[in-house]
Amino acid sequence: MFLQQLINALTIGSLYALTAMGATLIYGILGILDIANAGAYLVGAYVGWYVYYATGSIVLAFLVSMLVVGLLGIFLQRAIYSPILAKPRTLSIIPLVAAVGLFTISSDAVRLICGPNSKAYNLKFPMEVIRVGKVTIQPAWLMIFVLTAILLAILWFILNKTKLGLAWRATAGDREIALVCGVNTNNAMALSYILGYGFAAAAGIMTGILYNNITPALGEVPSYKMLAIIVLGGLGNPLGTVIAGLVIGIAEVFLSVYTKIPIPKDAIAFVVLIIMLLVKPEGLLGRRNKV
Amino acid sequence: MMKKALSITLSLLMILSLVVFTGHVAEAANDTIKIGFFAPVTAPSAAADGESALNSAKLAVKLVNENGGINGTPVELVDLDDGLDTTAAANIAEKFAGDNSIAAVVSGSYSGPTKVAAPIFQEAGKLMVSAYAVHPDVTGAGDLIFSQSFPGAVQATGAAVVAAEQLKATKIAIIYVDLDFGTTQVNAFKAKLEKDYPNVQVVYEQGVSIKDSDMTSLVTAAGASGADLIYSVNYYEQAAEVLRQVGMQGLNIPVLGTEGADSWMLLEIAQEYANGLYITTNMNRDDQNEQTQAYIKNYREEFNKEPDMVGASVYDAFQVLFEAMKNVGTDTQAMKEFIANMKNFDTVTGTLLYYNAEGSAVKPIQVQLVTNGEYHYFGVVDDAQIIDPANY
Repeated sequence: MFLQQLINALTIGSLYALTAMGATLIYGILGILDIANAGAYLVGAYVGWYVYYATGSIVLAFLVSMLVVGLLGIFLQRAIYSPILAKPRTLSIIPLVAAVGLFTISSDAVRLICGPNSKAYNLKFPMEVIRVGKVTIQPAWLMIFVLTAILLAILWFILNKTKLGLAWRATAGDREIALVCGVNTNNAMALSYILGYGFAAAAGIMTGILYNNITPALGEVPSYKMLAIIVLGGLGNPLGTVIAGLVIGIAEVFLSVYTKIPIPKDAIAFVVLIIMLLVKPEGLLGRRNKV
Repeated sequence: MMKKALSITLSLLMILSLVVFTGHVAEAANDTIKIGFFAPVTAPSAAADGESALNSAKLAVKLVNENGGINGTPVELVDLDDGLDTTAAANIAEKFAGDNSIAAVVSGSYSGPTKVAAPIFQEAGKLMVSAYAVHPDVTGAGDLIFSQSFPGAVQATGAAVVAAEQLKATKIAIIYVDLDFGTTQVNAFKAKLEKDYPNVQVVYEQGVSIKDSDMTSLVTAAGASGADLIYSVNYYEQAAEVLRQVGMQGLNIPVLGTEGADSWMLLEIAQEYANGLYITTNMNRDDQNEQTQAYIKNYREEFNKEPDMVGASVYDAFQVLFEAMKNVGTDTQAMKEFIANMKNFDTVTGTLLYYNAEGSAVKPIQVQLVTNGEYHYFGVVDDAQIIDPANY
């Protein structure tokens, strides 16, 4: 059972990492906790569902959803976050409150437009469940592993091997100095949003496929759990977020299965976070612009 | 001068509209029998149940009106959405309780909202029939509160009998939603096993938050525990995920669910993995009773969806009220006496044998089995010692 539970934990951990990556990128460059990323996760799952049912293509569902939600991210950055942050002496809680408001609006908008009922992807994979002895690997898990790895590899490439990535890292390091040095910080911020919201959309679709079920409440748990993950990962540190996602996934599975811990599974992320902050306050990997 | 004339004209118009509006309300109040209704229509985790409940309430009112209403007086449905929120339920209860034009109320909601609303109605002297809430505190609120279905403890005690005698289980894993719905039933289930089936062991037991979508690791652990039956006390979304994981992990373990898994949405989410699911519920789709088959036919025609126990229970709650109103009018005390003394009343969810002193309906527990993506008859638990909660 141990090996099976480890695979279960890594699956859920991968999904957590991808879900929290958007908020990490945005924190890395703007220093705000963008709860609205959970709204992108929700909207992405629904856009993907409609595209899948209209076209029958899950690849198209991923691409269209990531693009639409990514562009929505840029729009929100330009229309809401940038004007708020441009005001002198803006309290750090103001963009957070705006993000909470946007998340609430997105949940209610999805409920009103798409209805409160569950929707099932009913995706048929072209392969059966893999069974090796008593261990099983489900097709949806393979999809999550592979897609998460591809998306994170793309992220690594963009951040480390492109001029835009260099601009992102420079802006994340010190926005004012980057600006003085001629870095286009607006483009760097746009990159954060299109990637961040696009990744969240992909994570939303994967969750919908994994559980064969999406509802307007899909973003509720990620809206707070992603905070624990990005803080644990070192606030704005993409690599730390991947490790933190896996750590939380493993902690949730093993603590809920092997111990009689009297707290809900969703609270375990915060218990891990508190322990980590007591031992290593800077998070798992510290520096926020390390990629 | 013009301004003054305009002011006078507008004032007269306002007074006239007030008179017309007030007159309309008074007229409506006298010409219809209003029944208050609430259900979790917009709650994402309960929306399928909310939809079934509201549809069935509308169907019940539509059909009674098509057949001449209550002794010639049409019925008017006043429906509100509690969103599965206890604060909203309390506000709805206060609104209905303070509205003298509401003759009685039907709850189409879960235990949480219903048990918050029940004492408010009792205090205000308003009669309420709960359709399917399982918590004993609902009818425990007072003598004006009735339930047309059995409480959770009855269903779970019946489930223990089904598990031990019909499914021949000896080692049971329990996965339950950590709410009143789950804990009430798990406690009654284990109590029955300990009392009458000491050879049956509970080898695994885990509660889950209603917000938790992931059942993978719990099902893995249940499978590794050596269980030969999984008792899944969950609402349709989580019950569906338990079934999917049991199927995809290749566990050859039958699953026994509850009325929480009696939903068209479970079949939609779980797909082929729903086949082989046993549930305890109050609705037998294969019952050839005229009322049951008529309800199923009417529901399908009206809403193009499959009916479920939630909808059927709501429909029955209205039938209980209609029967009382047809016989004794809308006086609360008269309706209370009539319902308390009802016997062998035919409903969609079987024969309501009688109401016990707590206001709970006593009726047989149906056991359904999902085959080919449909719920079908598997068995029934009708032992009088089990189905009357007063015996516990």
